[in-house]
Amino acid sequence: MKFDVVVIGGGKAGAKVAASMLEQGKKVAVVSSGLSINNVSLKDIEEKGAVVFAGDTVTGGSFEGSKLVNVSTQKLREVSLEAKAFVLATGGFFSRGLYADMEKVYERALGLDVEFAADREQWFDADFSAPQPFLDFGVKVDQDGRAFKGGVVLENVYAAGEVLSGVNSVCEDAEQRIAESVEKVVNSLK
Amino acid sequence: MDKVQKTNEFDVIIIGGGITGAGTARDCAMRGLKVLLIERHDIASGASGRNHGLLHSGARYAVKDSESATECIKENMILRRIARNCVEETEGLFITLPEDAETGFGLDYQAKFIEACKAAGISAEAMDPKAAIAWEPSVNPTLIGAVKVPDGSVDPFRLCSANVLDAVLHGAKVLTYTEVTSFVKEGNTIKGVNVVDTKSGQNATYYAPVTVNAAGIWGHGIAALAGVNVGMYPAKGTLLVFGHRVNNVVINRCRKSADGDILVPGDTVCVIGTTSTKVPFEECDNMYATREEVELMLREGAKLAPSLLTTRILRAYSGVRPLVAADDDPTGRSISRGIVLLDHATRDGLDGFVTITGGKLMTYRLMAEWATDLVCKKLSVAQKCTTDVTPLVGSEAKSYAEVASKVWKGATLAQKAAAGRHGDMSVKIPFVSEEDKTLVCECENVTLGEIKYAVEHLGVKSLGDLRRRTRVGMGTCQGTYCIYKAAAALAKALGDESLAPALQKEYLDERWKGMRPVGWGDTLREMEFMQKVYKAGKPFSFKD
Repeated sequence: MKFDVVVIGGGKAGAKVAASMLEQGKKVAVVSSGLSINNVSLKDIEEKGAVVFAGDTVTGGSFEGSKLVNVSTQKLREVSLEAKAFVLATGGFFSRGLYADMEKVYERALGLDVEFAADREQWFDADFSAPQPFLDFGVKVDQDGRAFKGGVVLENVYAAGEVLSGVNSVCEDAEQRIAESVEKVVNSLK
Repeated sequence: MDKVQKTNEFDVIIIGGGITGAGTARDCAMRGLKVLLIERHDIASGASGRNHGLLHSGARYAVKDSESATECIKENMILRRIARNCVEETEGLFITLPEDAETGFGLDYQAKFIEACKAAGISAEAMDPKAAIAWEPSVNPTLIGAVKVPDGSVDPFRLCSANVLDAVLHGAKVLTYTEVTSFVKEGNTIKGVNVVDTKSGQNATYYAPVTVNAAGIWGHGIAALAGVNVGMYPAKGTLLVFGHRVNNVVINRCRKSADGDILVPGDTVCVIGTTSTKVPFEECDNMYATREEVELMLREGAKLAPSLLTTRILRAYSGVRPLVAADDDPTGRSISRGIVLLDHATRDGLDGFVTITGGKLMTYRLMAEWATDLVCKKLSVAQKCTTDVTPLVGSEAKSYAEVASKVWKGATLAQKAAAGRHGDMSVKIPFVSEEDKTLVCECENVTLGEIKYAVEHLGVKSLGDLRRRTRVGMGTCQGTYCIYKAAAALAKALGDESLAPALQKEYLDERWKGMRPVGWGDTLREMEFMQKVYKAGKPFSFKD
């Protein structure tokens, strides 16, 4: 299946990016692992013409050089989703956009480069109420919102929302930071 | 003890609200003494609440230390009778793994182990590995040998709380959040203690002809305050709690005792432990699990039950065992894990002062009996100990179901849970109004009524205290879904609703401390969720 844009993640950031793309008349697909929490926003963009794969998860992608050609999902099996551009908006640890083992932090869907503190002692502040460093861990992007893989910037993979390095939903200006990350990606895709 | 006494005069002052002090307070009170129990923090807030919760069969000590093993199995059988409300009769396994055979702990050792157990009076029955797997499916399937022993699990918080409550019901006075600042000394006699209320800052003095130092590792400092030296060896142990009960019977390694070789199921969780490292006395007040300790527990734990590696870790915690160096060995090389009772009158020429230390959670009742015997001897009281045959308050009935059905018709889940926690005492928990019946902690089924009861009867002052009495916030969500409600309810029950935010913060910081050392995988996910719940929301009020 071919699209102009495939948005991975149907939360707040993903739905906003998808809505903007639809307004620009683009052919959009959204893969959302959630079934119900963001159903309202997903329904909304579905009505505007997006193809929504709800309850599905991106398991990987095929790259050609620094370009992502398609992504595969858990449920579509042999069918892959092709697109000119991909937007990752899968959220933080809670939303399973990020995953950590004892040593490292990983981006789950595509294995993108992640910024995090190498020493696990530095992941937390002892004071529960203080800002927690681990909440800011996430995908590294360039000034256009493009993500990196293996140290190389990807031409057509963007990231927005809580999956990003420096963006989380707990800090005071969370709404603003998420909105800015969405805006940056939308502008780059114009 | 018929003479009229002033309110600040007692027959015996006991320092330390851990299991040893609580047991000693109960025993002394049951023998008719006027008892004062002083605790710096809350009951069971030191090593008594920071262990496996293992009802040792004694098998672990059988080969090396038959005296400890014999003590253990005797106390094991006594606790099953007197503390049935705190004990779960799970039984236990000692397994032999292929790697044990390579280090001299193969099936030859197993035979020696079984023989030593039998000599100590511990039933030990070799099991076919296949039968062991069928009995306990989580056990490492590569095991080459298994022995069934009468291990069990014991809720140390409940055990300690029941002892304190029983002491109170026998007339004892209990002061928590009260710290001994100095002793009242006349010549070579301890006459009493000067204390400070750590919440209000108020000072007070209490007098008694005998003071018992039962302060665990902090007994070292208490002895120093009294002017005597007790050579202690602070041995830190770190444990991990998992979010599910992967095993139903206790799993041990059948070899020389080592790190991370006991996995104990307890309530809805299971606990792997422990390490054993000497730590400086200054660190005993602030124990934390290190990364190395956590990794070691996981590595060794997976050898007992491989599924631990894929189970969410709730938290890590550490306690300090009050091991005692033999009097003639100040370096601490000759360490005893046995009971140490010191009469400082004969040992140091200091009258009116006794130290009870060493020992184990398992042998607390025997330690209390020895200490109380000495106190009674000093006071010329002839009463004999009856704690080995008298059930603890809450453990009078045969089962939770019996308690619940006696108290309530068609008991609800919350009532059954309350009966499990408080035994016969649960009759005092209000289940009348809709408010009383409102669930606060859904993991552990704790109601508003139970919180009121805990404040009124169990001396609860903080959410940590409440957790130790009711298990509030101890379940799989670690308080994420309930602590904001519990904080509001506790503040209200304490009579000052403005306390809620501070109570909540204190609790969350403490949970956070236990989660940080295991903050990866699903635990990290839970931590982000906890941050979202508590930072995105506004303070909770039942009025909303």
